[in-house]
Amino acid sequence: MPDSDIKFLVVDDFSTMRRIVRNLLKELGFSNVEEAEDGVNALQKLTAGDFDFIVSDWNMPNMDGLELLKRIRADERLKGLPVLMITAEAKKENIIAAAQAGANGYIVKPFTASTLDEKLSKIFQKLEQVGA
Amino acid sequence: METASSHADNDTPELEALFESIVAAKEDPGAKPAAPALPRTVPAKSRARIKSPVVAVAPAPVAKAKPNGAAESPPEDGGRDMIERIGHMTRQLHDTLRELGYDSLVEQAASAIPDACDRLAYVAHLTEQAANRALSATEKAKPLQEEMERDATRLHADWERVFANQMTPEQFKEVAERTRAYLKGVPAKTQATNSELMEIMMAQDFQDLTGQVIKKITDLAKSLEDQLVALLIEHAVPLKRADAGEGMLNGPVINGEGRDDVVTDQTQVDNLLESLGF
Repeated sequence: MPDSDIKFLVVDDFSTMRRIVRNLLKELGFSNVEEAEDGVNALQKLTAGDFDFIVSDWNMPNMDGLELLKRIRADERLKGLPVLMITAEAKKENIIAAAQAGANGYIVKPFTASTLDEKLSKIFQKLEQVGA
Repeated sequence: METASSHADNDTPELEALFESIVAAKEDPGAKPAAPALPRTVPAKSRARIKSPVVAVAPAPVAKAKPNGAAESPPEDGGRDMIERIGHMTRQLHDTLRELGYDSLVEQAASAIPDACDRLAYVAHLTEQAANRALSATEKAKPLQEEMERDATRLHADWERVFANQMTPEQFKEVAERTRAYLKGVPAKTQATNSELMEIMMAQDFQDLTGQVIKKITDLAKSLEDQLVALLIEHAVPLKRADAGEGMLNGPVINGEGRDDVVTDQTQVDNLLESLGF
């Protein structure tokens, strides 16, 4: 089981969505959660704080989620961070682009708590395998 | 006339007839000269589309049919001719729009847009408010539920020990006291939870309001579409239907039926990624 102290950054331009994800994460036992309202804000927080996991929307002002993902993967210090995309973008093109850019998971909105749980577990499992 | 008809074979018979009459007028030296030779860049389609035949528009075939005829007009007049001609066409489009009553329709549509924007802003406001109300209520109710569950579980464990005769009379007394306090406290907590549930229910009242507003906007969009389509059918060159969903920022798929470029549920996302080896 992953450490419950694991620090999440939830990136979404809608505060209600951030709140929902925060509550779902809390429900799953992760209460160390911070929020960012777009990619720019997220990058600032990521470089300043020691985050372990990023949950990001795609369509956001200033910097979208795909760009954020690319920046994270291009940054020497951040590139190892797991990134889970939660987005309303449902085109196959989008999903493939996110996977190619290095997303660890992709969830299409609207989604359920169990989907989030399942994707998180899957990502943790893979990370453990890599780490082991 | 062979060349003329082969050039004008995309035109309507009435235009052809008009063309004939103009050629005839031109050949008659006594007749008042028709509009000067026109720039040949005007596409045949735009001629065919203009409904009421105007002399200024029609002579284009003359220029086409008789390439030498075009040279009659001095080249420096070309620019002015073009401007005059565009002026004519604009005027004509304007008149046609008015004749058909489209100008007022377009005006109505244009004035309806800001109203629609206000309505949509209202929808956004109401839905956000509702989401926040529901989230707040949930956040308040959850700790109460968790507290009751935790206390009940602990008391149950204690009572199991009582029934297993594992407790001293003092301990039993203490358990009885705690049970009494717990039972006393439960109704206040369930009432509080209940009122939060009511709050969540009441927060859904936006649905009724936004539903009505959205219906109005849908009607407006529909009538706008109808008017624009009618206008286009009447006046524009055939439009290439815009491809649905260009680019990467399309937002939620409103209707995925019949589209194979989108996924409609999480299973499809997972299958796609798996098939690609991710």
